[in-house]
Amino acid sequence: MDTVLEATDLTKHYEDFSLRGVSLSVRGGSIAGIFGPNAAGKSTLLRMLAGQTPVPAGTLRVLGGSYDTGEQDLKNRIGYVPQEPVFFEEKTVEWHARFAAPYFARWDGAYFFRLLEEFRVNPLKKVKHLSGGQKKLLSLALAFSHGADLLILDEPTAGLDVVHRRSLLDRLRAQAAGGEVTVVVASHITDGLDQIAEDVTFLRDGGVVLQAGADDLMTRWKWILYKDGALDRAVEGRFASVRRTEVGCRGLTNDVAGIRDAIAPALASGDARIDHASLEDILLSFIKGA
Amino acid sequence: MNPILRRSSFFYVTSAITYLAIMGRYLVTRDWTAFEIIPLFMPIWLVSALLASEDGERYAFLRTLPVPDSAVARLKFSLILLSTLFQWTLMTVVAAARMGEGIAGPATMVYLTGICSFGLLAAAAFQIAIWRHGVSRMKPIMIGAIIAGIALAILHLASLRHVQDWPAFSQVGLVEWLGGAPWISIAMLVAIALLAFRAVTRFGIRVKAASEAHL
Repeated sequence: MDTVLEATDLTKHYEDFSLRGVSLSVRGGSIAGIFGPNAAGKSTLLRMLAGQTPVPAGTLRVLGGSYDTGEQDLKNRIGYVPQEPVFFEEKTVEWHARFAAPYFARWDGAYFFRLLEEFRVNPLKKVKHLSGGQKKLLSLALAFSHGADLLILDEPTAGLDVVHRRSLLDRLRAQAAGGEVTVVVASHITDGLDQIAEDVTFLRDGGVVLQAGADDLMTRWKWILYKDGALDRAVEGRFASVRRTEVGCRGLTNDVAGIRDAIAPALASGDARIDHASLEDILLSFIKGA
Repeated sequence: MNPILRRSSFFYVTSAITYLAIMGRYLVTRDWTAFEIIPLFMPIWLVSALLASEDGERYAFLRTLPVPDSAVARLKFSLILLSTLFQWTLMTVVAAARMGEGIAGPATMVYLTGICSFGLLAAAAFQIAIWRHGVSRMKPIMIGAIIAGIALAILHLASLRHVQDWPAFSQVGLVEWLGGAPWISIAMLVAIALLAFRAVTRFGIRVKAASEAHL
């Protein structure tokens, strides 16, 4: 499938933080997840990808174009949800739709109001009276209602209750599977987005520490679960991370074949077994390795 | 009507309407000092309108819309320019109409053109500073400038009334000299102001595009 977003060596320096040489390629119709701890650079990266902030160094091609020459056209085709959506606080939800509609070539007002109904956001309410989660839902409704080809969502599930979170994840998965949209999401990994991301980029301290397909990661990374006292000290050092549990301990590895000789005796005696690792487990091992 | 224009122009239109009220005094007064003091309120009015307009602006929201930054910046500068032109035209027409009565002269016209040129460039500079530093950082500075402007106008008026030989801005040597050929001087001042404003506008568009103060 065609590449809809190609970023190469994106770099941006602030007084207290730098995004360093981030490259990213996103296939059309896929869901790309950008994960990392706080201050990893996720929001900075997404702002650059969505044309919200200039790209001082590196190259960026979005939907075959560039913000330098086609900002208006590109933003017509992109739905962007910032980490903390900003609205005119004194104005109503409905007012924002009326304000935004003339600027989008493919604005669908009926769909916007259907989404509000589904999200249970009162269109007549002033934004200042909305909760943080409702503001996020309003931002999502605006992003979904103009026929965007690319959705760039920064912490889209933050502040949402479990029902809306599940509904959003299902919607994103369905739209991407239908090839209607491409999705780039940034998040702390703990909110379920790790379950829908097909390609994963882990950021830490402004740099990429891991980039891979989610399936590939799940195939390669495994937990070796040991009964209490069964993990040899010599073997422990060969794991990416080791976690103590109430019934023993477990070591995370992305090279089961490479350490098979070391873990074989425990596996054979039943003192250890292999288990799947989640993306959250993998991310945590990278964060703790910092 | 463009929603951004409709929203942004509100305070400028309000400011223009309230300025009309001040001009009422300008139309009926027999006091020449009105022609010295009232123009001083033009930059104050303009900067106040700018601050009121920018205080409620949400650039982070606007940037999510398919509107180029350059278009937003041009619109904002256009409002400053139109507001200035409105006030300048109004004052010039009234001053021209009262010329034969001995309370406004050619130098008065040059003086108020100079004041309007200053107001135009000051407002443009404040607009750029807001984009560069954010409205929350600029607000106290602009309020300070507005208060200083009002204080200056009041002080100047009091001094004209009570201090002998206190110089009137409209009667200083350079203004008087330019008033010798008022229409040429005015055309020249307007041309210089517009050229300077054009340069400031270009610079401002670059600042706006690179601005992250609203994020």
